[in-house]
Amino acid sequence: MRALLRWYGASPLHLLAFLGCFGLAGYAAARLVPSQPLGIATWFLGAVVGHDLLLFPLYSLADRSMAAVIRHRTAELPALPWLNYLRVPAALSGLLLLVWFPLIVRLRTRYQASTTLSPSPFLWHWLAVTGALFLLSAAALALRIRTLPSERPPHTCRLGRRGR
Amino acid sequence: MSDTEHQPAGSPAAGSPSGPARRHPLRLALPGDLPGPFRRSFWRSPVRGPWLASVLGLLLLGGVLVLFVTGLLSYAAYNPDLSPVNDTTPGKGWLGFYLFSWPTRPEWLYQVNQGLHVTLGLVLVPILLAKLWSVLPRLFEWPPLRSPAHAVERLSLFLLVGGGVFEFATGIMNIQQWYVFPGSFYTLHFYGAWVFVAALAVHATVKFPAVIRALRSRGLLRELRVSTAGTRQEAPDASPLVSPAPAAPTISRRGVLAFAGAGSLALLALSAGQSIGGPLRRTALLAPHGQAEGSGPGNFQVNVTVAESGVQARQTGASWRLILTGPGAGRPVTLTRGELLAMPQVSVRLPINCVEGWSTGDQEWTGVRLRELARLAGAEHPANALVESLQHGGAFGRVVLSAGQVSDPDSLLALRVNGADLSPDHGYPARVIVPASPGVHNTKWVAGMTFAS
Repeated sequence: MRALLRWYGASPLHLLAFLGCFGLAGYAAARLVPSQPLGIATWFLGAVVGHDLLLFPLYSLADRSMAAVIRHRTAELPALPWLNYLRVPAALSGLLLLVWFPLIVRLRTRYQASTTLSPSPFLWHWLAVTGALFLLSAAALALRIRTLPSERPPHTCRLGRRGR
Repeated sequence: MSDTEHQPAGSPAAGSPSGPARRHPLRLALPGDLPGPFRRSFWRSPVRGPWLASVLGLLLLGGVLVLFVTGLLSYAAYNPDLSPVNDTTPGKGWLGFYLFSWPTRPEWLYQVNQGLHVTLGLVLVPILLAKLWSVLPRLFEWPPLRSPAHAVERLSLFLLVGGGVFEFATGIMNIQQWYVFPGSFYTLHFYGAWVFVAALAVHATVKFPAVIRALRSRGLLRELRVSTAGTRQEAPDASPLVSPAPAAPTISRRGVLAFAGAGSLALLALSAGQSIGGPLRRTALLAPHGQAEGSGPGNFQVNVTVAESGVQARQTGASWRLILTGPGAGRPVTLTRGELLAMPQVSVRLPINCVEGWSTGDQEWTGVRLRELARLAGAEHPANALVESLQHGGAFGRVVLSAGQVSDPDSLLALRVNGADLSPDHGYPARVIVPASPGVHNTKWVAGMTFAS
């Protein structure tokens, strides 16, 4: 028994907790999967791959590109977290697009036929909100620059390097 | 580049100097030699670590618990145990252990439950993304499997991440009526939730000591006062999440939390109005039912039009009859719309509340009490009532209402709304209105009712 547990690598309680988890998940999955095994497996796997290997690399790449641009443009500017004034509105706009893209890009959905509502305003709403977010961010940055202590000489920005 | 690449594969010893610097090419690589994300130094954020992962995890856990409970309540609101007609997941077995007869009071119950479920689901999207960001290096752990216990944990993480993203994605697609998932939304979202919650329960249990340890390592209030310049990474030996080669901080931990919170706030501000209604509806600029309603009596939102339902104009014209069948052996009672209008009329102010989280706001419905119709059919105290629509083939063309729903004085067979006849899209010639029930149980284009005793 002791050798078995050493092989397992954790306490028996650990094993029991996970058996409970797989028992419940299996019970639910047995009611879900047989109807469309391939489709449902694809969707579960697709959910993991879609986030971890698609969405995450894409937004990381976008973030690092932004950081690289800022790093090359701010040599003569005061030290401020410039990156976040670009990063935050861009990310919020991207988040809204991620959630509402079926309506924003007008995918072929049942929306118009079912609700009698037009999907055409959503693109404009999203663009307007995006514009407002960048304007707000620019205003916040302008305010920040104005309130910088004037006696301090501008020095090279060291921020905006790789990573967060 | 690894030094082992200079050697011909399969002949490690041939002419190569032996020693610690030269390793067998077929052996598992040491962490330093691993490619890309499998190398720990690939991950450079100085704020990633157990503290941030724990705070985001606790926020998400609390939110998901509310989503789970409101989701279970939403299923109960369909009264699936009353009749197979109402049950979208008849194979549920023990997973329906908690079901109860859905009440009609308070009349805002379903509106609040569903508004909370859908709006909170949207609000949690940035928290979910931030949490996944904070633990992503774990996906590339090396070695990938250390022990059977580790393998079991990683399998449960597949169910956790897969189930979580699956639940959020299906919910968000459903409220935009983008039905591309493999099967009925109800089935997928219900069983998917149980898979997700099973994995979440064990994850929260196993991680509990680590979360407590991480939270104690730096106080929340103290951490919230640390600016970007003062941000230091956690102890590198505390967790594989802490980068061995951190970049300079571009954001503080407080900043990350505010960042995710700003995302939640944006989603909340741009969608909550569709559930709350009134003047706030116009603020729901990015929500399926945020568009302003017109001023006419029938100008409030629908989710199935008469054209979509397949109900023909000739079925709802002068030849339409309401057929009431009682529990006895007597002949069914048949009523014209004129005869219904000649019965005592009752007016109630109630909203239509959709499972998709939006509500119409109160409308003034006028019609005949369901319990009057039951009495007419010879059922003084009906056990339930089957309502059948002219609509055929739709998922909710037939619905069974409970005894409590039929006997509520505000439950009507409505003939008029806001002082005018029902419009075709709102269910002319007659529709059911029951307080606190899901919108799809307020059957439109009613053809008949069968009362059981």
